[in-house]
Amino acid sequence: MFSPPSSSSGPRPPLSPILIGGLVARPLPPSLLQPALSAAMATVNRRHPGLFERLSNLDTPVFLIDPVDLGLVFVLHADAERPTLTARRTGEGCGAVATIRGPLLKLLELLEGRTDGDALFFSRDLVIEGDTGAVVALRNAVDGTEIDLLNEVAGAFGPLAGPVRGVARFGQRIFARMAEDMEILHGALVSTTQRRVEAQGVKLRDLDAKVAELGKSARRQRTPKS
Amino acid sequence: MTHKLELVCPAGTPASLHAAVDNGADAVYLGFRDETNARNFPGLNFNRKELEDGLAYAHARDCQVFLAINTFPEAGNPSPWHKAVDDAAALGVDCVILADIGLCHYAAEKHPDLRRHLSVQASASNPDSINFYVDAFDIRRVVLPRVLSVQEIAALNKQIAVETEVFVFGGLCVMAEGRCQLSSYATGESPNMNGVCSPAAHVRYVDEGDRMVSRLGDFTINAFAQNEPAGYPTLCKGRFVTEGKTEYLFEEPTSLNAAAMLPELAEAGVTALKIEGRQRGKAYVAQVVSAFRRAVDAVAEGKASPALNLENITEGQAKTSGAYDKSWR
Amino acid sequence: MSNDNAKLTLGPVLFNWQAETWRDFYFRIADEADVDVVYVGEAVCSKRAPFHAPYVADVVERLMDGGKEVVLSTLALIMSSREMEELRATAEGADGMLVEANDVAACALLAGKPHVVGPFVNVYNEGTLRYFAERGATRVCLPVELRRDAIHAMAGTKAADIEVFAFGRLPLAISARCYHARHHGLHKDSCQFVCDKDPDGLELDTLDNEAFLTVNGVQTMSYTYQTLAAELAEMRDMGVTHFRLSPHTCDMVAVAKVFRDVLNGKTDVEGADDALAGLVGDAPFSNGYYHGAKGVEFVTE
Repeated sequence: MFSPPSSSSGPRPPLSPILIGGLVARPLPPSLLQPALSAAMATVNRRHPGLFERLSNLDTPVFLIDPVDLGLVFVLHADAERPTLTARRTGEGCGAVATIRGPLLKLLELLEGRTDGDALFFSRDLVIEGDTGAVVALRNAVDGTEIDLLNEVAGAFGPLAGPVRGVARFGQRIFARMAEDMEILHGALVSTTQRRVEAQGVKLRDLDAKVAELGKSARRQRTPKS
Repeated sequence: MTHKLELVCPAGTPASLHAAVDNGADAVYLGFRDETNARNFPGLNFNRKELEDGLAYAHARDCQVFLAINTFPEAGNPSPWHKAVDDAAALGVDCVILADIGLCHYAAEKHPDLRRHLSVQASASNPDSINFYVDAFDIRRVVLPRVLSVQEIAALNKQIAVETEVFVFGGLCVMAEGRCQLSSYATGESPNMNGVCSPAAHVRYVDEGDRMVSRLGDFTINAFAQNEPAGYPTLCKGRFVTEGKTEYLFEEPTSLNAAAMLPELAEAGVTALKIEGRQRGKAYVAQVVSAFRRAVDAVAEGKASPALNLENITEGQAKTSGAYDKSWR
Repeated sequence: MSNDNAKLTLGPVLFNWQAETWRDFYFRIADEADVDVVYVGEAVCSKRAPFHAPYVADVVERLMDGGKEVVLSTLALIMSSREMEELRATAEGADGMLVEANDVAACALLAGKPHVVGPFVNVYNEGTLRYFAERGATRVCLPVELRRDAIHAMAGTKAADIEVFAFGRLPLAISARCYHARHHGLHKDSCQFVCDKDPDGLELDTLDNEAFLTVNGVQTMSYTYQTLAAELAEMRDMGVTHFRLSPHTCDMVAVAKVFRDVLNGKTDVEGADDALAGLVGDAPFSNGYYHGAKGVEFVTE
């Protein structure tokens, strides 16, 4: 499931090492992780100032990236001039135009541009809330880059640099295996809630169908004038 | 013995342009990052500097660059389109791909030496309309609508004195291109004026547990069972109910693959083959371009078209040779 | 008012009506409808045209006797040499009547003499409008998706008369493929003319059972009826000269009267809407395109 990037797709895009770093830093509180994240984003911005220019038509290009298996979330402020990445315990009140939620592995595929623009929506693993257009823009921006920041970004993690490099270097294999475990774990954790939600969904839909039938016959020409 | 077909490939970003050039494109087509082109998707396309760099990269490797300015300027606001044509001439693109008659006229008057192709969005599907564009605006190549069969293309080529380009891979419009208002009816965003069809910002996926529903604007376009492959909710590839029958009335979620028909297309007098997909990623571009490079080279040497192994690109979607095979209608 | 002579037109019948129904419809329009211009001719599918052919001369004569200007409408998507020949025959046999071009091939054929450019030709801006006007187009019916500001800009050129689609299901797409035939499991070449079962189009619902579109052979239309009764006065002030009413099975003589009454100030907008609601039946109204919204919406200001 973690197929290697094709030879012509070039070096890896910049965001995944940061998230991998997040995985390594999982036991740490977000506040300890933050200096490293900030340094990493400063590096991204210095080396590739045009990365988020593709999002410049968005008023507030703020994304909440929520790897459900991490225990923390990332708030990406994809400002063309001064992008920032913040680690937090929750995304509450972050003002994101869109949330991308899913297993870390799937998020990496998206952020590396390996999830195709069209295919992005087909995935059952990713949940996209809010402005889907903004998420497509983010994907296109990341897919449009050809940079290898792994080492520099890893360097920015300071004392964590070693583990980050390690994870990244062996990441693909290790990750594929870890991902399976995590998905099993994740599935176990959410299944109870999920089943309840699903049951509600079915009930609601039955109700919807009834209402639609009623509504269809009652549907009149126009909304009444105010 | 047939002539060698030219391979025209999509680039939504500089990275895709590099992928197309490196994998053997004869020409790359792209657009500016605004409503002047028919793939005005968020985060996609080129600013002026990126086009300049892309031109240098492609030209250094014997690859041409075509600029699509193929939407219809809305009355009262022609300047983005005029500026796009002016900039195209100034930057030295190899041709502009146009659809609007007023814009063709503008380009022919202001930049007579800038080569002009007619976009598929102009929906020129008969010799008389094609000859009109050729005579009036000195159009040098026509991208044919995806609604013609190979026999019709062959007959058409005998009645016109202009190069033709046909789509061979990627998305398939089932309506006459440039004459479809379904997207703007449901979302307010128009392919002709805004350069987007069924735009992502109006798409919602709703997981209802036992099925996933895709919505475009306020309308449910499709629903998928748990393990059923899902499709992008383009309006014409949605599932609808007519007289109690639930069906893909317009078209199944298929995409075009005419690789097997390359010899017939060459025989029909076609000059160039076009790959759709400026909105797809660089990995898609690299894979499809290199596959078609091999196929075109093989066919030019009189060999059979090799197997292209592009199934993984289509996300479980079916392939069709579309209208090239007349039974499609 | 900048334009007191705004004219009502009756667009071509877009559906496959039985030949006699089609003839009788036009006879009644000729005798009773208060419209200035009537378009006659098949715009959607060339396979239907032979059925009406025997009655066209009678219909045209009756309409002229009724004081109507008759315009010969032509096919929206020309794909075969036979269709091109039919277009040439129409242009040559027009005998002083205007012809409406609905494909660029027809624009080319009619260049140099007065003609109408119909809503299926993409005239989105002043440049294209002027280009056609300089080559003989005296009137242009604008594409349905243009909004108020664009219509205003087009009318402001004074390059040609401007016509706006003001009533009826919106023609939204045309295809080489026939969806009526496909729905009935038939091939287009042997379609058995099944589109005649649905004289106002075949209703297409979403999976939520919400009526969404209608199918008319190779054409796809809105389920809603666009009505711009409330917008007539504003458009007339902008300089729009003609308002098109697209035929349906509802009482088109009465529909024309409603629009005429609005133009003459004999009825207010609410009265017009109520009257049209009574005539149209269950289908909702729309006017979103004009207001820069989704085409399906009905905006009340």
